[in-house]
Amino acid sequence: MSQTTISTSATASTRTSTTAPAAGTEQELAEFDRTTSRWGRLTMLAGLLISLAGPIYLVFFTGLEISAGQLWTAFAAVAAVFAVIWVVEPATYFPILGPAAMYQAFMIGNISSKLLPAALVAQNRIGAKPGTRRGDFAAVAAICGAAAVHLVSLAIFVGFLGTWLISIIPAGLIDVARLYILPAVMGAVIVQSIVTIKQPRVTIIAAAVAVLIQFVVLPVAPGIAFVTTGIAVAATILASWLARDRKPVAAAAD
Amino acid sequence: MPAIVSQAVAAGGGSTDILAAANNPVLWACAAGVFAVIILQSVIYMKAARKAAPAAGMTPSELKVSFRSGAVAAIGPSLAVVMVAIALLAVFGTPAVLSRIGLIGSAAYDAGSASIAAKTSGAELGGPTYTQNIFAIAFFAMSIGGAMWMLSTLILTPLMKRGGTKLAKVNPAAMSIVPGAALLGAFMALGAAEVPKSSIHVLALGTSAAVMGVCIFLGKRPKLSWLREWGLGFAIVAALAVAFMAHTAGAPAA
Repeated sequence: MSQTTISTSATASTRTSTTAPAAGTEQELAEFDRTTSRWGRLTMLAGLLISLAGPIYLVFFTGLEISAGQLWTAFAAVAAVFAVIWVVEPATYFPILGPAAMYQAFMIGNISSKLLPAALVAQNRIGAKPGTRRGDFAAVAAICGAAAVHLVSLAIFVGFLGTWLISIIPAGLIDVARLYILPAVMGAVIVQSIVTIKQPRVTIIAAAVAVLIQFVVLPVAPGIAFVTTGIAVAATILASWLARDRKPVAAAAD
Repeated sequence: MPAIVSQAVAAGGGSTDILAAANNPVLWACAAGVFAVIILQSVIYMKAARKAAPAAGMTPSELKVSFRSGAVAAIGPSLAVVMVAIALLAVFGTPAVLSRIGLIGSAAYDAGSASIAAKTSGAELGGPTYTQNIFAIAFFAMSIGGAMWMLSTLILTPLMKRGGTKLAKVNPAAMSIVPGAALLGAFMALGAAEVPKSSIHVLALGTSAAVMGVCIFLGKRPKLSWLREWGLGFAIVAALAVAFMAHTAGAPAA
């Protein structure tokens, strides 16, 4: 998410106007596009379905008592918070990754912390510009390399070692980890997003909104507990928009 | 293990033995399925890239270099993700962590979604109200959130490929404010919600934020830049360690 402000307009023209050499190479490139968009989409769709199959099985076929209403409410609450990001993030990364790598990146995950750096290092290494054909190919190959390393380290260190670790750790320790995991994650994530987003005005507004909702609005209306995050997101966007710097946005690219 | 699982879940999902439900063999199979899909995709992509590389003005060795630099660049970030994933094992179990935090999503979004989803059922992630039912709802919400990301990638990528990056051009002012405001609003609110829970929650939140801040600050030096990607892992582990000490010191009876 760190690259939100990367100028997307500059690369648009480069992408469409990439050299159009001999007909044979043009055909090969078209075939690459066909293969990657067909298989990229198919594999991503498969990944999507398989990743949903797990929780759906758990919810409906293991004897848990969960109502459809609970699931819909949970989904609505999550959508209220992250729906904007669902749309914005793919639009943000497209100019850097190129169409083929999009289907890789959003399935492998950890894009800003792992895949983008990998793609940029590779592009840099062979002197290819993002948004060009060479840049796209370098990104695709780099992400394949990153995926290979990532899958292996996940399988070994989390799949085997982690599972073993969790089986020998005393239950008391696991309970404590579980109890405090959320503040342990969020403290760091807040600092990280403040630093990467680099918008002091928005940061102050977001902090004020969060405090206001949590300590003023919520005590008055405890019924809204489950939608507070969604409200905070909407209020922060609205207030940041109203309080935006109205000077020309020429500096937005950096 | 299957026998234990069905026994544990037979209680209607009111049990807090999360790992019994989280280690369901079907969930393991789904996590393995996501791995398999990514491997398949990488193989198809690399084959297609190798075939079309010359047409893109790229030598086979440049493609190999890109793959290798992507792999090398991913080692650090991958291990950093591993560290975060292991810390989250106690909350979500191995299969969910592998497919959600390890792949597709990230710790911040998925812990956030899980917490938001738990709240819609009047429970808290990780606390005594965190039953198997709540775990399943949280896992469902994280997964469908990830699915929406992939869905919007599937829909937007062909559109952006055809129309350049019109989407980002619609309103540069909005694009420079809305994503950052949405993220900061979400994470600030999620963090603020931890504050009233207990003084140890505040301690964990503060420790995590402080460690992250130090990592980012020191990470500005070229030699210590690796600290930036490890920050989240260090912050989580430090916060959990401090919380553990405070927890055991403060409540010996519990």
